[in-house]
Amino acid sequence: MKTAFRFTVAASLLALVCSAAAADKFPKLGPLPPPPIPKDNPNTPEKVALGKMLFWESRLSGDNSMPCVSCHLPALGWGDGGQISRGYPGTKHWRNSQTVLNSAYYNKLFWEGSVTSLEGQAPSAAEGAVAGNGDPSVMEMRLRFIPEYVAEFKKVFGSEWPRMNDAYRAMAAYQRTLVSDAKKVPFDRYAMGDKKALNASQLKGMALYNGKAGCIQCHNGPLASDQQFYATGVPAHPNFKSDPLGQVTYRWELYQKGVPEQYYRSGTDDHGLFYITKNPKDIGKWRVPSLRELKYTAPYMHNGMLATLDDVVEFYNQGGGAVQNKSPLIKPLGLTASEKKDLVAFIESLSMDEPLLHDDPKLPGDYQPLPAPLAAIK
Amino acid sequence: MQTLRKSIVALSIAAVFGGAQAQGAGLDLAPMPEFKPGNAAMIELGKFFFFDNRLSGDWGVSCASCHSPEKGWGDGQALSTGYPSMEYFRNAPTILNSAHQKRYLWDGRLDGSDAGTLVRDMITETHTMNMDSRLMQERLKQVPEYNALWQKWRKDDINGMRVYNVIGEFIKTIRTTNAPFDKFKQGDANALTAEQKQGYEVFKGKGGCVSCHNGPIGSDGNLHKTGVPEHPDVLKNPLRTITMLRHYATSGMPNYMNARTDVGAYAITKDKKDIGKFRTAQLRDLRYTAPYMHNGVFSTLDDVINFYDKGGGEGSVLKPLALSEVEKKSLKAFLLTLSGDPVIVKDPGQPDMQVWTAYGKN
Repeated sequence: MKTAFRFTVAASLLALVCSAAAADKFPKLGPLPPPPIPKDNPNTPEKVALGKMLFWESRLSGDNSMPCVSCHLPALGWGDGGQISRGYPGTKHWRNSQTVLNSAYYNKLFWEGSVTSLEGQAPSAAEGAVAGNGDPSVMEMRLRFIPEYVAEFKKVFGSEWPRMNDAYRAMAAYQRTLVSDAKKVPFDRYAMGDKKALNASQLKGMALYNGKAGCIQCHNGPLASDQQFYATGVPAHPNFKSDPLGQVTYRWELYQKGVPEQYYRSGTDDHGLFYITKNPKDIGKWRVPSLRELKYTAPYMHNGMLATLDDVVEFYNQGGGAVQNKSPLIKPLGLTASEKKDLVAFIESLSMDEPLLHDDPKLPGDYQPLPAPLAAIK
Repeated sequence: MQTLRKSIVALSIAAVFGGAQAQGAGLDLAPMPEFKPGNAAMIELGKFFFFDNRLSGDWGVSCASCHSPEKGWGDGQALSTGYPSMEYFRNAPTILNSAHQKRYLWDGRLDGSDAGTLVRDMITETHTMNMDSRLMQERLKQVPEYNALWQKWRKDDINGMRVYNVIGEFIKTIRTTNAPFDKFKQGDANALTAEQKQGYEVFKGKGGCVSCHNGPIGSDGNLHKTGVPEHPDVLKNPLRTITMLRHYATSGMPNYMNARTDVGAYAITKDKKDIGKFRTAQLRDLRYTAPYMHNGVFSTLDDVINFYDKGGGEGSVLKPLALSEVEKKSLKAFLLTLSGDPVIVKDPGQPDMQVWTAYGKN
């Protein structure tokens, strides 16, 4: 029933794509509104400044080697520039290190959408065995031995001692400031009335985006993502077949996610959403990523298998890859060489003229002995 | 059961007589007991795992880093270093004679009958090896030699708690051998010199050592307060204070942020009577295991003997002994007869991870 319904919907969407009115059926691209701020974690300048320090703080990882910024470098589009994230020393990660730019707008984070807030994402990254591998109890205790942090946490959160939970809230607050500036985004300037902001090629690309290429079907709304899950058939990363450390992490992920044994024993590809739902219909599905700031965030896809935007456009032009559950929205597009060029030019107009960069913050100094206790244990 | 009965008898004797000397009445050291090693395949595999640094989160340390055969199966330092970027607040105890401990760890928080749980604690604790068990399991499965050795004792995959038990079986084989004291007890009167025999008398009599240091490894396995001084580096070096307070916090100890001393068993029991109590250390192989005490604060046996001669430190339950220099010297000579030959195990090397082509085939 559900499948039939989905198919009907998909089929009618496809039909719509062919008509000029297609784009009207989807939320329009446009400048991003201010990011949503959760009521239980309001942004303040002090909290953001603290969150920035913590984002760079290597003491918030297992062995002082993996602050957030080690896989989310401003100069590499707030990712790490590699196909697969480097991972904690002694491990290799299994997915691409995503940009944190505009992560404020997602209601599901990680490539398989497994957490629903930045406050929930931060501990997974800081504590996960192939990411930060930090034990929260020791990271929290470390913060308590750095007087500058004790003072800052007290100011921001009113607590006598820093708490890891609050550290994650501060990091989330900081990340909510890492958003595209519409004034610097050609497409946004165009959408706000500056008709010269896009050139002829980009305008042609926009028409393809909304029409023949059908990108708008999933990459819609101000974020250029509907935040839904689709299978498109991105090729498997070779690590699962050829790299011992890649295989270790792969099986570890499957084992701890409780994936049925057959996949654990014989899998060679990352099945995405399936690992969360265990529904075979979700094999190969991934959350649609935003198309903003792509100029700075190569390589692309959950496993970095596509190196350039030309590769990505060509991938979709060929109707994606071979995969079960493939979305019926993904069909060969028949784009000409110049159309592909125009489409890439338009997609690049969703990035800022200059990358959003942040300088390293000044971090507090060394651990200090604790002051004498108020009431010693006797 | 028999041991328990003996202790009850000893306790009632102590209650009747009172006083340091009388407390030792009826108690004695014993030779190393017969030991039946566990499954040979487990022990062989456990030896590999013991030396393999891939059992720590970032490959920075193996069990052998802090329990080195060349350093009496400890690390030779007063306070243990632990996992990279950490520093610990207690001494890395020797693992010699783990098979005969009533309790494990300086605060006695683990049961001596379960070496596997001890190993699990060390591997997964953030300050020692900071390893995710499930990730460890997958790493080990990536090594064909390990899969083959595993199959020699179980027809399943390398898995979970059994890895810890395998290492536990190995460490239980690390035992004192050929100690002069044991030969003496088994009837070779010439195994001890006259001075050593004199020291034995001090040990059982005037020194009162035997009241806590008894049985085959010279430990009653119980918790006592003797007032060993704090190691100053624990407060001076914040990295050590961090691991100490973090241990208190995760043990659920009240008021942990105000603690500035090693409270010992109290962190576990939360009974104020246990503040500053530690497990009686064994006296076997002391020749190889300096420095001494839960924080390594004494670097020689002379320091230790002088400490007890004064009746211990602040809050000690012990009384001064007034030993003569000759008595102290003979006591030390005797203590060393409880040490055996060096127990040396060679690092078997680390077979590489290989690619899996199909499940279990690499």
